[in-house]
Amino acid sequence: MKATSAELQTRVKDLFEDGTISHFIGYETGSDSLRVAPCFLEGSQEIGRLVWNPVCANNLAKYLLDFKNVPGRVGIMVKGCDSRSVVELLKENQIDRDRVFIVGVPCSGIVDREKLLQVMGISPTQVVAVQDEGDSFLVTLTDGEQRVDKEKVLRDECLVCRYPNPPVYDVLTGETVSRLPWVGDDYSMVKEQEALSLEEKATYWNRELSQCIRCYACRNICPVCTCSECIFDKKAPRWISKANDLSENLVYHLIRAFHVAGRCVDCGECERACPMNIPLRRLNKKVEKDMLELFNYTAGIDVEQQPPLTTYRVDDLDEFM
Amino acid sequence: MNDNIYLPRTATIQSMRPETIDVTTFRITIDDSSGPEEFDYRSGQFAELSVLGVGEAPISISSSPTRPEAVEFSIRRLGQLTSALHDLEPGDKIGIRGPFGNCFPLEEIEGKNLLIVGGGIGLAPLRSVILNVFDNRAKYGKIDIIYGARSPQDLVYTSEYEEWGKVDNSRLHLTVDRGDDEWKGNVGLVPTFLKEIKPSPENTTSITCGPPIMIKFVIEALHELGFSSEHIITTLERRMKCGVGKCGRCNIGSKYVCLDGPVFTLKELKEMPSD
Amino acid sequence: MLDALAQAYDLIAPVQGNNISFRRVESGSEVTLDYINPMLSAKSTFFPQTETLFRFSRDDSEEFGIEPAREPGRSQVIFGIRACDARSLRLMDMVFDGQHKDSYYLDRRKNTTLMGLACFDYLETCFCPTFGIDPASGEDVDILFSDVGDRFLVEAFTEKGTALLERFAEFFAELRGDEEQLREGRKAGLAGMKRLDVKGIADKMAQLYEGPYWDDIGTRCLGCGICTYLCPTCHCFDIADVSLDEGGERFRCWDSCMFPEFTLMVSGENPRPNQKARVQQRFFHKLKYFHDRNNELACVGCGRCVRHCPVNIDIAQIIDDVSSGKAGNE
Repeated sequence: MKATSAELQTRVKDLFEDGTISHFIGYETGSDSLRVAPCFLEGSQEIGRLVWNPVCANNLAKYLLDFKNVPGRVGIMVKGCDSRSVVELLKENQIDRDRVFIVGVPCSGIVDREKLLQVMGISPTQVVAVQDEGDSFLVTLTDGEQRVDKEKVLRDECLVCRYPNPPVYDVLTGETVSRLPWVGDDYSMVKEQEALSLEEKATYWNRELSQCIRCYACRNICPVCTCSECIFDKKAPRWISKANDLSENLVYHLIRAFHVAGRCVDCGECERACPMNIPLRRLNKKVEKDMLELFNYTAGIDVEQQPPLTTYRVDDLDEFM
Repeated sequence: MNDNIYLPRTATIQSMRPETIDVTTFRITIDDSSGPEEFDYRSGQFAELSVLGVGEAPISISSSPTRPEAVEFSIRRLGQLTSALHDLEPGDKIGIRGPFGNCFPLEEIEGKNLLIVGGGIGLAPLRSVILNVFDNRAKYGKIDIIYGARSPQDLVYTSEYEEWGKVDNSRLHLTVDRGDDEWKGNVGLVPTFLKEIKPSPENTTSITCGPPIMIKFVIEALHELGFSSEHIITTLERRMKCGVGKCGRCNIGSKYVCLDGPVFTLKELKEMPSD
Repeated sequence: MLDALAQAYDLIAPVQGNNISFRRVESGSEVTLDYINPMLSAKSTFFPQTETLFRFSRDDSEEFGIEPAREPGRSQVIFGIRACDARSLRLMDMVFDGQHKDSYYLDRRKNTTLMGLACFDYLETCFCPTFGIDPASGEDVDILFSDVGDRFLVEAFTEKGTALLERFAEFFAELRGDEEQLREGRKAGLAGMKRLDVKGIADKMAQLYEGPYWDDIGTRCLGCGICTYLCPTCHCFDIADVSLDEGGERFRCWDSCMFPEFTLMVSGENPRPNQKARVQQRFFHKLKYFHDRNNELACVGCGRCVRHCPVNIDIAQIIDDVSSGKAGNE
């Protein structure tokens, strides 16, 4: 991410002032230097709030639909993964292309807060800033500076990222990123899981999903979970009860995995949000792999591409018939 | 069993009288009680009725404690629980918890004239007041009841209007939003009708209940007619679960509708946030 | 000692799983002390996330048999509870006691002995001194363990606590006399804790019903239940029935005022129709409504909501903004 906060602010300020956008969704500094919060601007007066740095984890595409009906265009800044979510929303006609102004920000990795604190052995109040330096992060502390290898502290989804540059954008802020050197087999985690026996898989998922407290953070933070009335909130008929026993939890997670099949871009927000550290990416990534193998389909690349689960082709697989 | 606030008692449905196509008045007796003292309620309170296996819902009590033979609830078929209730028959059992909530301040308004304004199914909790004051007629002044519904088929308690009409120094004013060929009475919305009748606020307390939008306009009309905030009383509806102020669902500001309400004066409402 | 406790009582203590939570343990070896505060508070010990209220059965004569699902009074000990969580139990008591007594919660409270663990360190999100809580004191527990370096200072604050210490006296040694001094030394580490000004905050909140301060927060909020479920003083719950072949049961489970359908009525009306209204409800409840009813603020500064909110909605920041007047001037 070679663009600085200042460059981004200038870009967005211009967009406001020449009337291109009436609103902007971005990031601002959070409770400490390792946190950011989503920020919503309606003009350039508070442009100084906007930041862009290796801490900007949130997938802002989630908020796009909240601005569907504003009078002007809504601007949004998106990393590679985030812009792929926007592509999915556009494919599903959730929002018109001409209502959105996409500011693409090429990204070479986001810091995982817990990993950084552990690897460096520090507390969050010691951190002043984190800057991108290619293969490493430069961490400015209250009492000096330290460099740390990116591979050690990147978020898990960044370690397998294939799209550091937004595939769809109106304007790009920052230099494009060439292929990330640490990315190897993005499905190694899934293959590990696939190699287990049925009993081992059951034990694994039963153990993990029995910890779920059904806070629905994974659903609510997911940019493609857009149903105005979610099936799990329905009272009549009531598909699952609010009780958090394993049976209800399994139904919730498995159905959600299927509902995002072919739409999930592995932005990793679900796992980041989960307070119980449930390995949700391990589940969603498996579905992603299946979509690739069965339909040769990757979500979020091309707005014109037809989603395989909602379109019919004569040559569709039907080996079960 | 009585120390467990979540455990319902069982009650038997004695009769079900349809009022309209979707409203039925249930008359129940509590099973394990030996007399009216066991379910000691006041006008304005509600009970949590259960169909075990389906759920529980708060329903206002529409009978009066002055007639203790049975307890009555007028229920509209709207959701899962109310539909399940409607599918029962006399002789079937339901669960009942309560009575909960506060009550209409009937002692404080003795000696006053009463103006009771109801809309649709909102007449159900008001009926508890109406029968109560009718049974204690001498304690109150003039009684005017203004009641309206969407159409003549939506009026409730029509079988009782004749009996009410015979009560001394009281009048029932009926209106419907839309009439039909047989309707000879007034046609118009309740708040409009109220303004046309122009009741005097002199020594009068008004009690109103109905759809939220009707309550809003009735309160405005009463204000215009000169009624003061302490003398406009209403009863509110909210989604409830526990009925005892613990599940945190029914609060409007600092007040829990199940504990501090459902009966509120306009003065109290004005101090609450616009929730 | 923990082993002996686990034998004699149901011992609940912090255990390392995906994160650290309070769980029932059978032996001391399962317990970890490597935490500032466990992820889930001790609230679930008294107010479990899912709890059967009663079971019912139907027989052929259509008679209902209703049986309350209450365990016989099991004696519990919670070990390792921090001052913030201990204070939160006192606040929860105000909800579950009162005119209508919630016997499920209150019986558990009566049958539980609280063994607190004093804090001499803190996370960047902790701010309990704001609410008059001393992280190293045993105000709201029965027994307090303070790690003074090479040993624990153990003090009883209630009769229940004294009785338990006497029963397990074999595990305790004589005081050496320098414990207080060592403790004061360790408390120096708490000097940097965030202490916000909450004087008159309920009244300040009353000025903020209208106004744009909550717009941003409302838009940012995802409407998930993380803050409410992790919060040690949040007590909202739902009640529902389960129908099985020969009867069924009624249970209660945690619910969240952040969920859109929390106040949705069957008629379709929702008094809190958008996230801004729901966010306002949460903060007004914590900082005003609860105070109006009980004369206490319903936050203990444990910071769990701040640590885990995925969009960084920070109650400490909000308290600061409201207190300083910044919330009104925006």
